[in-house]
Amino acid sequence: MSSSLVLRSTLPRALARRAAAASVLQARYASTDAAKYIPGGPVLQGTVNDPTTFPPPSRIHGSYHWAFERLLAAGLVPLTAAAFVTTGSNYPILDGVLGVSLVMHSHIGFDSCLVDYLHPRKFPTLGPVLKWTLRGATVATLVGVYQFNTNDIGLTELIAKTWTA
Amino acid sequence: MQSLFAASRSSRQLALGQRAFSSSLRRWQAVPAEKPVLMKEFKIYRWNPDEPEKKPQLQSYKIDLNQTGPMVLDALIKIKNEIDPTLTFRRSCREGICGSCAMNIDGQNTLACLCRIDRNGSKNTKIYPLPHMYVVKDLVPDMTLFYKQYKSIQPWLQSDNSPEKEHLQSPEDRRKLDGMYECILCACCSTSCPSYWWNQDEYLGPATLMAAYRWIADSRDTHKAERMERLENEMSLYRCHTIFNCSRTCPKGLNPAAAIAKIKLEMAAE
Repeated sequence: MSSSLVLRSTLPRALARRAAAASVLQARYASTDAAKYIPGGPVLQGTVNDPTTFPPPSRIHGSYHWAFERLLAAGLVPLTAAAFVTTGSNYPILDGVLGVSLVMHSHIGFDSCLVDYLHPRKFPTLGPVLKWTLRGATVATLVGVYQFNTNDIGLTELIAKTWTA
Repeated sequence: MQSLFAASRSSRQLALGQRAFSSSLRRWQAVPAEKPVLMKEFKIYRWNPDEPEKKPQLQSYKIDLNQTGPMVLDALIKIKNEIDPTLTFRRSCREGICGSCAMNIDGQNTLACLCRIDRNGSKNTKIYPLPHMYVVKDLVPDMTLFYKQYKSIQPWLQSDNSPEKEHLQSPEDRRKLDGMYECILCACCSTSCPSYWWNQDEYLGPATLMAAYRWIADSRDTHKAERMERLENEMSLYRCHTIFNCSRTCPKGLNPAAAIAKIKLEMAAE
């Protein structure tokens, strides 16, 4: 009787301990779902001795994104200078590259604002809505730049004209 | 010869029983110069968890600066000792090595023990807890998340080499850690960072990131790739927008922004 009691009491405990250990291991690599954001409430998960967890690693969102952003920003300087000294109609490729780079640069900038201030984890409806609004706006701008550069005078010429107008 | 003469003279004077310091009348002694009273107002953030319905407020204390030590911590201790024992703040070493007394003094995060009192008596000094932290009481912020984040970067030496004695390191490699190992984790930099204010739950903040780079830069540590892999996401590292509040506010004169920039460069170059 007593032995069965002991068995019955220790077995679930041992199982629970293994399950807890497994969940801790998983939590370390799990996505940010584990650290659910409650507005105005406690942010802390687990005990005070548990380290915070990291989102799953992704170079696209990490170092590649940063390197691309910085190279793009640095590349815009000579691109703008080149567009300044040439005329858009004679160098349509340069004009197009400048248009696309500018749009991408501003997309990354706006996206950074959204991640900083309107992240979906804090704004479950507004966040995704604005994210997709930004994506839509960027695509629409790209289409517009393409139309403008193929059917009209192009970006550089427009700025030159406005400048002298 | 001279010393011998002096000794003989002094012994003669004592023998003559001339007036000694202890026997002189009080009024013949030099009077210590009375310091003028220099009152200064300190406005200190107060919030008591026992009265949660009461809003936090600034409480005013006036003390005589000429009867106080030179640092803000001295003033706080004087206020707590002599005026209001309920005033709550953390302090320990009083010499800028423990990081306990980090608080926001006149709009700047700093250690109260390293911050001189502005001796302009006509201007008050405002003291708040570290910004954008949960307040436990008065000037005591809840540092739990900060320490949990520090723990998450695994701040200890991880080496697959097992040398017979010490892990050897060249003086050049050791020099790379200067300016990082001195960090006392007072959280002045992290709590001055707007990115850390908005995204504290995901972004690690300058103090933790500099600690991370302290181990990435360490030539003895062989888990550099894993350490950098953990930061490969949108939030942990790349919410740093090089605002430089961290380097500006650091009471130890360290440069967390440079360490974060080096992490980014190394991760991009890898």
